[in-house]
Amino acid sequence: MNYQVYNRDLCVGNIRVLGVSSSSVLMVGDTETIQLAATFDTPAESLLVGPFVPLTPE
Amino acid sequence: MLQRTSAVDKITIDTISFSSVFEIGDSSYIQGFSRAIAVQREAEFFNAREGNYSVYPIFSESIPLLPIEEEISIQTTQLNPVIKVQNIDVIGVSSSSIIHIGSSKHISMETRVKHIRQLYPKRNNQTGRA
Repeated sequence: MNYQVYNRDLCVGNIRVLGVSSSSVLMVGDTETIQLAATFDTPAESLLVGPFVPLTPE
Repeated sequence: MLQRTSAVDKITIDTISFSSVFEIGDSSYIQGFSRAIAVQREAEFFNAREGNYSVYPIFSESIPLLPIEEEISIQTTQLNPVIKVQNIDVIGVSSSSIIHIGSSKHISMETRVKHIRQLYPKRNNQTGRA
């Protein structure tokens, strides 16, 4: 595949962001490669109903 | 190829926390990693020495990435080699995140979060919502 890019004027006025979290990236610039991965687990077993038992110690 | 200059007139960041980075200038390799066990309990009960990542498979399982099989030839022409931004306003940067003004070569970021909620048993004599 041939991919041709012409970068002309890129002018941005205002960027307002509340939060950048959990290995996220806010970038003003170029990059050759970018690779982002996330796992987020909230299964049914994560809801523990009953007396509060501490989690497995460190 | 990558020769654009980034020009930011003004940037305001209120908080940077938990191994986050604010980088001004170019970089060549960025690798970020964060993991968290997020516990919410109905009552305020927290023991400082609890929580073990090795118990939960989410922190060790591999995250598959699709291989790029297509051969791509990229040609980039910089007709105006400046990226201009007047103003950036960020409230918070957290958990191995990055704010980067400038170019990079390779960026690889990963995060793993396990949520756990602990609730009291439901009382049967409790009246429902009014």
